[in-house]
Amino acid sequence: MPRREIFLASQNPKQTIRFCDTNEVLEMRINILIGGKAGQGINKVSEIVSSVLVKQGYFTFNYRDYPSLIRGGHNFNVLSASDNRVGSIESKLDVIVALNEKTVELHKDELKKDGVIVSFEEFKDLGRNLNIALSGALIKILGIDKEILVEEVKKALKNSEEAVQAAEKGYESEESKFNLEKLDNKIKIMTGSRGVSQGALDSGIDLYIAYPMTPATGVMHDLASNQVENNLMVFQPENEIAVVNAGLGASFVGAKTMVGTSGGGYDLMTEGLSLQGISEIPLVVYLASRPGPGTGVPTYSTQCDLDVALRGGHGEFPRIVIAPGDPIECIENTNEAFYLSEKFGALSIVLSDKHLAESEFSSDRKPNKTIPVNVKRKTPGEGIVKASSYEHDEEGNTTEDAELAKKGADNRIEKYNKIKEECKKFQMIKIYGNPKAKNLIIGWGSTKTVILDALDAIDESIKSGKGDYKFLQVLYMKPMSDEIQGEIDRADKVILVENNSTGQLGHYIREKTGIKIENRLLYYDSRPIKSDLLKEEILNIK
Amino acid sequence: MTNPTEIKQKLNTKEENTWCPGCPNFFILESAKQAIANLIASGKYKHEDFSMTTGIGCHAKIYDYINISGIYGLHGRVLPTCLGMTLGNPNLTVLGFAGDGDTYAEGMGHFIHACRYNADMTLFVHDNQSFSLTTGQATPTSQQGFKTKAEPLGEMNRPINPVKLALVSGATFVARADAKNIKQTAEIMKKAIMHKGFSFVEIIQDCLIFNIKANSTDEKMYAIEDNNDKSKAEKLAEEWDYNLREGKIPIGVIYQAEGVLTLGEEWPQLKGLLDKGVGWKNKR
Repeated sequence: MPRREIFLASQNPKQTIRFCDTNEVLEMRINILIGGKAGQGINKVSEIVSSVLVKQGYFTFNYRDYPSLIRGGHNFNVLSASDNRVGSIESKLDVIVALNEKTVELHKDELKKDGVIVSFEEFKDLGRNLNIALSGALIKILGIDKEILVEEVKKALKNSEEAVQAAEKGYESEESKFNLEKLDNKIKIMTGSRGVSQGALDSGIDLYIAYPMTPATGVMHDLASNQVENNLMVFQPENEIAVVNAGLGASFVGAKTMVGTSGGGYDLMTEGLSLQGISEIPLVVYLASRPGPGTGVPTYSTQCDLDVALRGGHGEFPRIVIAPGDPIECIENTNEAFYLSEKFGALSIVLSDKHLAESEFSSDRKPNKTIPVNVKRKTPGEGIVKASSYEHDEEGNTTEDAELAKKGADNRIEKYNKIKEECKKFQMIKIYGNPKAKNLIIGWGSTKTVILDALDAIDESIKSGKGDYKFLQVLYMKPMSDEIQGEIDRADKVILVENNSTGQLGHYIREKTGIKIENRLLYYDSRPIKSDLLKEEILNIK
Repeated sequence: MTNPTEIKQKLNTKEENTWCPGCPNFFILESAKQAIANLIASGKYKHEDFSMTTGIGCHAKIYDYINISGIYGLHGRVLPTCLGMTLGNPNLTVLGFAGDGDTYAEGMGHFIHACRYNADMTLFVHDNQSFSLTTGQATPTSQQGFKTKAEPLGEMNRPINPVKLALVSGATFVARADAKNIKQTAEIMKKAIMHKGFSFVEIIQDCLIFNIKANSTDEKMYAIEDNNDKSKAEKLAEEWDYNLREGKIPIGVIYQAEGVLTLGEEWPQLKGLLDKGVGWKNKR
């Protein structure tokens, strides 16, 4: 029997929280924009405030928006906080924290009528501690105790007395607008990059080989930072062609190996992926996409590389492509990718994007138990083992024999069938919300948490499980679940949501099922989808 | 210790050899087998610890003719594949067999970096100054004026000097061999494999079908003593420029640096594996 489960994004889905200075009971969500020049420390603000919020039991989501430069320019973070799961940004802001004048100019039109601006003007004398003072001011606006702030600032800034004073000064400069009482949630903040790294560590990764490329570099930095303690090695060779070939060489001799890159680097790797296909050396590839073609919009996000993940590399050979939708799934799917790759001598691709890799998500869900990944095959040092880029006989030597060529191709097809069977043990798709709902939203990857937020904003479809909508998240892009067709057949209205201009998942579903999804909400301005606007667009589809 | 001749038998495969009759690749194959067999016979190397990679081209068929572990790799990617093997298990004896087009055209970037990394592995370049398996186009070591189906006006570009390039790039072992001299080549190969760090052996090889004009440089060749003086090595490298001009061709160990740490010795993680005598697979 195929598995079907209803997933709740939060383990406390039905919490209702009293908040606000007016004693009203409201669904709570606060949207805060923190903006300034690169180098002014806006990430420190969102880091401190998020940590405080999470300690208070609130879910947070922090989106990082930055152009491709190191100092100057205009960067901003949008920090959303809620008493319930939150995984998106919205179009309207409750608070703007401005580290410079430009932030106010650029974003004041997004502020709600009763919104607040916390400005750098008040703290001009604080120099490099401006961001800390603004963090203090923000914590006060949120109505959280000063002690919690001070504790967090001490932790974040190595007990700097100066920083604590700045935080206190900021705190005292504002009035509370909200009253975020402590809630009983156990929440962790995590980026998608951290999730992929953790999944690799859980799988016992030995080698991570990569060449720097945004937005894949986060995993490289993460794994490199504690490589000696974690007993692995992170190596940066001369280019991605070297990365993939070294990855295959290392894996061939028995090291659990992952390579990582983004679109352009992946293109360079594809001949190596094809070598994987015929040599059957296990290989895990982390592919974090950004808007292409070419250099595209390098520090922003897109889902434009599904096609190339599914098909990159010449010849016909099996592969696994898994697209997690949040950091916890990044942990699980990366572990599954290692397991499947080693078990079948296969290529596993973990497909992410900048939005998932670099946004800071929060969750109270614990990842599934780690699947052990064991290298049992014979490797050099233990006997003679031969792998080849040519079609080969059983000993690994070259053949151009017609019968053996056909047999090689048949074996690759057979292997894919076995992989598909094995994948059924995992959550190839997830369905959220009311299983009987007639309106079906289909999406994948980093749009997951946006879709969940939008559907809850319509009729609490996800939280209550009783609304008019359900959401089908595709995690296994290849092999693809056979259940998708049935879900589409049972629905009255099907809406595809993707962060690309052509609807790549839609095309792939059509290829597999013959079903054309007519309703498509495609977003491709390289910015994240705003959940309140998505909600409106979903409701507009009749 | 076992008899090298018996060990050499074990290096044979049942594969039919498809090189052209008389091709010097047969001699290179024989030299490689002698070198490997002698090393195994010495008791310091184990047959199962050898791991090889080849590129794609005439040279690469050697993969099917030597019974040791390995990957028949991609054109131009011998060096990163070998690098990966040393990263995955620094205790293996890693050999790369590559062509001149393979190494100096498609894979040139890797060549310079391999010299920098100084991973403990050995590269043998079968340099016949032509892309022969694709019917004889010019490579970066072909002489100017070499007329081919792809370059009917004659090769316009000056050839590179791989020996000189390896020296400037920091290679810690640079040698040149003559494919026709089996014993001498086997001896150079042995020294290259035994060297701790990246060893590069440029093997001058005739092609009997294409670029015949580049052949028969034997009378220009002379054997040199093993050298570890860098400035002398640079002078030796200058003696022959692959453009068929006058000059002598020094054969032997042109340069061997001593005491340079290998990549495996530099990285604490790999050093740990070296000390334990295992790869990542058996680290725990």
